[in-house]
Amino acid sequence: MWLGIDVGGTFTDAVVIANGEILAQAKAPTTHTDLLSGILAAVDLVMHGMVCSGVERVALSTTIVTNAVVQGKTDTVGLLLLPGPGVNLNKMLPELPITLAGYVDHRGRETSLPDEKEVIKACEQLQDRSALAVVGKFAVRNPRQELQVARWVKEQLPGRHVTAGSSISGALNFWRRTNSAYYNSAVHRHFGEFSTAITTALQQRQITAPVFVLKADGGTLPLVVAEQNPVETIFTGPAASVLGIMAMTAPSGETVSLDVGGTTTDIALWQDGLPLFASRGARINGFPTAVRAFWMRSVGIGGDSFVRWEGEQIKVGPMRLGPAMALGGEYPTVSDALIVAGHVHFGDRAAAMKAMEKLTRNGGSSENTAALVLEAAATIIHQEIDAMILEQAAEPVYKVDDIINGRPIAPELLIGVGGAAPGLAPLVAKIRGIDYQTPPGAMVANAVGAAVARPTTEVTLRADTSQGIYTVAELGLRQKLTKRSLTPTDVRDLARQHLRERAVQSGINFETAEVVYEEEFNLVRGFSTIGKILTCRLQVKPGVLRAICGKEGVL
Amino acid sequence: MSGKPLGLVFFPAFDWAISPTHPEREERLLYTRDQIVEEGLLDMDTIREYKPRLALREDLERVHVCVPNIMSLITDAHRVSAGGAITAAEAVMRGETARSFALVRPPGHHAMRVVHGTRGFCTINIEAIMIEYLRRHYGIGRVAVVDTDVHHGDGTQDIFYHDPDTLFISFHQDGRTLYPGSGFTNEMGSPPAFGSTINLPLPPGTNDEGLHTILDELILPVLADFQPDLIINSAGQDNHYSDPLANMAITAQGYARLADKLKADIAVLEGGYSIEDALPYVNVGIILAMAGMDYSKVIEPDIANSVRHQADSTTAYIRNLIADRRAVWNARDSLQKEAIQKAGNLWRRQKGIYYDDSGIQERQTESVHICPHCRGYLTIATEAQGGRFACQSAFIAVSWRDSCGRCRAAARDEVMQAKKQRQYQHYFLQDLYQDTLEKI
Ligand SMILES: [Zn+2]
Ligand SMILES: [Zn+2]
Repeated sequence: MWLGIDVGGTFTDAVVIANGEILAQAKAPTTHTDLLSGILAAVDLVMHGMVCSGVERVALSTTIVTNAVVQGKTDTVGLLLLPGPGVNLNKMLPELPITLAGYVDHRGRETSLPDEKEVIKACEQLQDRSALAVVGKFAVRNPRQELQVARWVKEQLPGRHVTAGSSISGALNFWRRTNSAYYNSAVHRHFGEFSTAITTALQQRQITAPVFVLKADGGTLPLVVAEQNPVETIFTGPAASVLGIMAMTAPSGETVSLDVGGTTTDIALWQDGLPLFASRGARINGFPTAVRAFWMRSVGIGGDSFVRWEGEQIKVGPMRLGPAMALGGEYPTVSDALIVAGHVHFGDRAAAMKAMEKLTRNGGSSENTAALVLEAAATIIHQEIDAMILEQAAEPVYKVDDIINGRPIAPELLIGVGGAAPGLAPLVAKIRGIDYQTPPGAMVANAVGAAVARPTTEVTLRADTSQGIYTVAELGLRQKLTKRSLTPTDVRDLARQHLRERAVQSGINFETAEVVYEEEFNLVRGFSTIGKILTCRLQVKPGVLRAICGKEGVL
Repeated sequence: MSGKPLGLVFFPAFDWAISPTHPEREERLLYTRDQIVEEGLLDMDTIREYKPRLALREDLERVHVCVPNIMSLITDAHRVSAGGAITAAEAVMRGETARSFALVRPPGHHAMRVVHGTRGFCTINIEAIMIEYLRRHYGIGRVAVVDTDVHHGDGTQDIFYHDPDTLFISFHQDGRTLYPGSGFTNEMGSPPAFGSTINLPLPPGTNDEGLHTILDELILPVLADFQPDLIINSAGQDNHYSDPLANMAITAQGYARLADKLKADIAVLEGGYSIEDALPYVNVGIILAMAGMDYSKVIEPDIANSVRHQADSTTAYIRNLIADRRAVWNARDSLQKEAIQKAGNLWRRQKGIYYDDSGIQERQTESVHICPHCRGYLTIATEAQGGRFACQSAFIAVSWRDSCGRCRAAARDEVMQAKKQRQYQHYFLQDLYQDTLEKI
């Protein structure tokens, strides 16, 4: 029995899943100032009449970190940087940093050293900070200086959390790692308190199963691991939604998914069974971070979208003026059109008819008007899908082959979830000339997505054979290579070894690890080849642990 | 700052090399990529990255006459880097960006109008292709090209040598000490374009101070006089003190301040082969300066190894060079009249051109037909020995966008006549008014 919980903007949903089926689901209002009480209310409702000790896994998609940032429940953070030469970031960070000596260059070579006395002096200025972040440029190529400074800081300011930038992300981008490290430290204490509270509360209910937290990239982390990297658990709503779709439909090939809500439709493009990631990390309070997230675009079309004529054109959304007339609202909405067209069945059908009559011109039927409204709504979604495909095709690439042979994504299947999806998805699919699916059970897709999300982990291994060293940034590792020359296969094997270590430590199954990025360059100096630089990023990809059947009858 | 971002077309061509150990190899912009990505430059609101488009055959043939034909001489990478320069320029023309930087390879400034192969790592001239594209599609008139590569931009000079609307200024290490061995002060443009080519050969060891003196006292005032619609920077980076192919002493700060003062509308990367010690810093410096951001902290970690002192003789030489070139610039109108008078209706020159990367030696005779009503037209007789095609000869006539009807007809007649005499293997007519390259 698996328990999945999704903390949404209005409701906290909980589902219990067993043998690939949804056994129970429940809803409780989200309690924004004290998320835990809303979560526990949903848990108690969904577990009603079930044996709590039978829960084998708990997984949570929460807004705890988002709320902490929005509500200012963050700690004051001292920011220490080893930026070396380059961009002056001072005015582009959430906090004015203290700049320290020391520099690691693009090959991971130390070109100047950090100074302990300078760090001690900096710490004197930071006595009033509750947490700290230390970030070095190119520390992902050699974390030694960054970790050394972090140790000095811990000695000077004991008992305070210190985030080292390279532990947050193994990818290049000093600016993003700095912002991520800052927010990681800022929410660390708050997340820790939440983590303790939920563990205790679950134990009191005899639920002792391991607890996982969803990340923005669709992976999950054991709660204890997440306590070190809480910033990764921000913005998990979209991830939960696409994982829910993945669990209930298992798309393959190129696909487009729609999550049609009350006021917006969230669109994602899929390739090989996975939604595309945003090419850039998420922004927190406007600051770009290294937190990876799925690429979603929202368009202002939903069940509650206001419908009216503007000149000779029928217009839909993006504003909402209230509920559907079928539910006692004052203005015609998309839901009214869906009811009249017979796609959905709720509320007062007569009122919905009235809504369409209000819109009817030149003596047409209400059914015709409803069709016109839905066509207009579907067209807007269709155009947004096209815009996304164009944007994806315009992403820069760095190889000639990718320019010559790259082609835009061409979705062959449309998947629609959410209340208005059964009416709109077929219309959008018809305009595009592709097939569609509207899986049942989609109402609790997010909680299902959280429940079945696969625990993930990754390592980025970079070997520089001319220096005879390799680094694994995520592990803070820089070691001598035992071999003089390496092939990409050697590097993959080495990466797999380290991924295994990392996975075992966190209790994560690493069997499905895949190479997600590879690079191989010859180093030539003075017309002769002196070595290679090889990079391999190996990842247990986000995905679902098992497919779920969202049977209509149960829901 | 105008509030618009800098457009950046970054295309390191990670899968393209002239040969595995050639300076133009996959690794060239690897460390530049590392630095740009690590700095977070691609995420900043002040910078907008663009994917390069693929240049079309017609874009290339608006500039080049390739012998025997274009497709046998170029690779896809050339079409991407030329397309990258066009993408960068179009972002400016459409008003999306304040300026743009095409940080692309392979480079182009040694590629001349007639192309038999690859020379100085260049096959097609990406700036020239971009400029003629802008003239055709955006009605751009006067253009200034400032070539800040350590090597003389002999290809760009060749293409615009007869064009009074293109001011070409190149500073470079003296041709007596460096490839391609040209770019002397007496190369000033053919009579119809006299004075629109300015060469500033500099002694080895010239540093930031010398460079900025020449920039402040000569290049910037001349640009102000010329009043171009667009300033293009051929932004080679091999004047850097660590460059393995040259002997100058410019720093990343020197280059960044240059970019800041020049305020080029579009910069296009050319050479620069100190791929670890210079390019990451010089490119970040240029990007920041062009984006209107603080570049004061872009300093090479090994700056202590740089040559700081400039020889007194160099400083004195630069003073003289500035005075001498200013005098010529100020007197350009009367000097041009003299040159046209002296030439009568035909100006002719012979050139030997060596394609170091292809092992080809070319002999060329250029004839500028001077017309009282227009810029006249050009004929080129070319013979190349060596390389893949062993022996190739061609006769080419070029009439300009604004050549008069009589000149355009005369250009066509000359190719037809030449073809009848069967002295050459190939005959081409490049009619830029019609925007066509015809194989006759
Ligand atoms: Zn050069
Ligand atoms: Zn004429």
